[in-house]
Amino acid sequence: MSISDAASGGRAVGGERKDGPILELRGLAKNYGPVQALKPANLAFNYDEIHAIVGENGAGKSTLIKLLTGVIRRTAGEVFWNGKAVALDTPQEAIDHGINAVHQEVVLCRHLSVAANIFLGDEKVKYGLMQKREMTREAQRILNDMGFNLPAGAELGSLTIGQQQLVATARASLRGTKFLIFDEPTAYLTRQEAAQLFALIRRLRDSGVTIVYISHRLEEVFELADRVTVLRDGNLVGTRNIKDTNENELVALMINRSIEQIYHKETVPFGEVLLETRGLSGKGFEDVSLTVRRGEIVGLYGLIGAGRSEFAMSIFGRNPKTSGEILWKGQPVDIRKERQAIRLGIAMAPESRRDQGLNLNLSIGFNINLPIYDRLTHGITISAREEAEHADRQIKDLAIKTPSRRSLASSMSGGNQQKIVIGKWLNHGADLFIFDEPTVGVDVGTKAEIYRLLAELLKKGAGIILISSYLPEVYELADTLHVFRGGRLTGSNAFHAASHEQVLAEAIGV
Amino acid sequence: MTTTTEIASKEAARARRNYSFLFALTLLGILVLLCVVLTIATPNFLTERNIPNLLRQGSMIAILALGETFVIITAGIDLSVGAIAGFATVVIAMLIQAGVPVWLSIFITLLVGLGIGVFHAFGITKMGLPPFIITLATLTSLRGIGLLMTNGATISITDKGFTDFATLDFLGIPSLFWMVIMVAVPGYIFLSLTRWGRYLFAVGSNPESARLSGVRVQLVIYIAYSLSAVCAAFVGVLLATRIGIGNATQANGWELQAIASSVIGGTSLFGAIGSVHGPLIGAFILATINNGANLLNINSFWQQIITGGLIIVIVFFDQLRRRSR
Repeated sequence: MSISDAASGGRAVGGERKDGPILELRGLAKNYGPVQALKPANLAFNYDEIHAIVGENGAGKSTLIKLLTGVIRRTAGEVFWNGKAVALDTPQEAIDHGINAVHQEVVLCRHLSVAANIFLGDEKVKYGLMQKREMTREAQRILNDMGFNLPAGAELGSLTIGQQQLVATARASLRGTKFLIFDEPTAYLTRQEAAQLFALIRRLRDSGVTIVYISHRLEEVFELADRVTVLRDGNLVGTRNIKDTNENELVALMINRSIEQIYHKETVPFGEVLLETRGLSGKGFEDVSLTVRRGEIVGLYGLIGAGRSEFAMSIFGRNPKTSGEILWKGQPVDIRKERQAIRLGIAMAPESRRDQGLNLNLSIGFNINLPIYDRLTHGITISAREEAEHADRQIKDLAIKTPSRRSLASSMSGGNQQKIVIGKWLNHGADLFIFDEPTVGVDVGTKAEIYRLLAELLKKGAGIILISSYLPEVYELADTLHVFRGGRLTGSNAFHAASHEQVLAEAIGV
Repeated sequence: MTTTTEIASKEAARARRNYSFLFALTLLGILVLLCVVLTIATPNFLTERNIPNLLRQGSMIAILALGETFVIITAGIDLSVGAIAGFATVVIAMLIQAGVPVWLSIFITLLVGLGIGVFHAFGITKMGLPPFIITLATLTSLRGIGLLMTNGATISITDKGFTDFATLDFLGIPSLFWMVIMVAVPGYIFLSLTRWGRYLFAVGSNPESARLSGVRVQLVIYIAYSLSAVCAAFVGVLLATRIGIGNATQANGWELQAIASSVIGGTSLFGAIGSVHGPLIGAFILATINNGANLLNINSFWQQIITGGLIIVIVFFDQLRRRSR
């Protein structure tokens, strides 16, 4: 079974192709109690189109996906599938119609092989026994067919997140899928992986699959989509043909704010040198020399796995260096532990909020105060009053949208979770802040807030290391932009001194 | 979705505060209900002989469960607590029979407990062994070491003052129950009011995040397993005063009762959820069931089945509530 078979086979299952839209929403709405998560929406998805949906976090995108995939039930309205009203009460019903989704976080079994994952729930069986070799061969054929250079026999967990995402996509596009939803699929992908994914998405579209593509990255929308729909505060504010619109219009629709206001850059005179590394090497990076001054944003750009996070983690004492020198305010230091780094005045907002940044099943207040519980302790007990004050101050200063510091961190949206991670370190205070991918999975509005926050920190005399795989971000914000490739520094550019293309070339190595 | 999740989380936050309170209340309710039913069902329950007896039975498991809870909050497990208690009876019996003063014997026994706890933490943090494995290993070897030390014999403790302790009352409450209070009050202060208590939760929730926030994760592990082992050694001392002997086969299976009490008391085996009052109430619920079953002449096999059923029911409803948030 190749993809084109899958798609055409699916079409046969779904009956004849009609002239109208494949899926149509009429007055579809969802309320949670008194809250309208999605206000009555009318929208039609056509055959053979890539339809992007954009909007800030909380705009109603996830609600819409959940309604379409049968995860939640609608409050009002109707959904027409090939012109027939359908209930979409359960995920299975959605899948039976041919509606499938690829989620941002890969939800597959890490300990099974790629082939086993692709065929999970639909294994090839002979006499009650699994035909492992045949499945591996078949899976390999499917992957090759899609143009993915992935080993079908490898354990899924041994692949990068990006490769896993490709496997998830391959899986979702089989079995007669006619309507495939992508929820921020490129959040963790490298540029090449994203390119592979885009190629697959186009091929799926050309073979008759309707694609719904959800992303925060507008340039992807322009690269890929045929039409785009904007959601804001649960309202469907407009649908445009991609040819007839531009980034400025979309941003304006999404947030009522212009694009220049997003990248808020403040130019602060540089102060003393905070950090200097000389030929620093460690696990995953080699011979990195750079400096960070007060009032400076040092951007580290590169593909995922280029050694940027490893370098930062080494400065922070998580993976101590193997050779080279670190100078802190001019003094050589040997940072062996996180606590040592923190005591010097280094703060780190790590790459993965879920795995490294947050204690998800604990409260927001707990997370914010975690680095300073020693300061909140008087005698032997913690002052409950100070604990509350510190948490509430960060929640207020950062406009974390929560009713209470007692809410669990896991109940927050991506943007608010990022604010908790940042708030934790603002609460503690530091001279050097390291932000590793601070805006992944964060909506445009919160991004702007985070950028403004960086400017505030600079004005207060801090230095910042900003790690990002999103070029416009580091390009517009960094005073000095270092480029990593394969664990080494391959370029160092002053603000706007190199073009996007030059920086990209340094990162990819063409 | 943001607005909805946040409204929902407002309710959830309120619900959660009420919930942990309600859960404790429900547990107490079950305990009271059990007592009422048993009072009606048998004239032997609510008597001056039985109630102190029940309190003594429950006390030792309660202290074990409390120590165990510290470990479970860090998302670990300590299977050795029963074996440590049995081993501790041997240690203290030998010391007292050798003429060491009682206070010093107790102190040394607790130190032995501390040593075992430190060993557990060493195995976990430095040797990278899963908590289940390292504590399972000490479970079997401690029983063996205890039997070797006594050559399989039982050591009788002849110090009258020591063995009388378990039968004493103070203000009409058995001395062993006072010991629970003596452990629980500092336990509460530690877990709920100090930063180290907070760190237990942080490590149980996400050790990497805790570490990157400057928490000394390894030290926290050392503290948790040491507390558990010292509590267990202390229970061994109390057991020795109650039965007057030292024998390494004592307290067999108590680790599972301790874990069960903790879980019934709302501790999550996935870590980061737990309290001091929960395991205490849990332990006394189990003790009451066993006591009542004895009085009603119910086959002891049934007691085990009832205990198992109760664990499933209580944890199931707890999970249901948590999931619905």
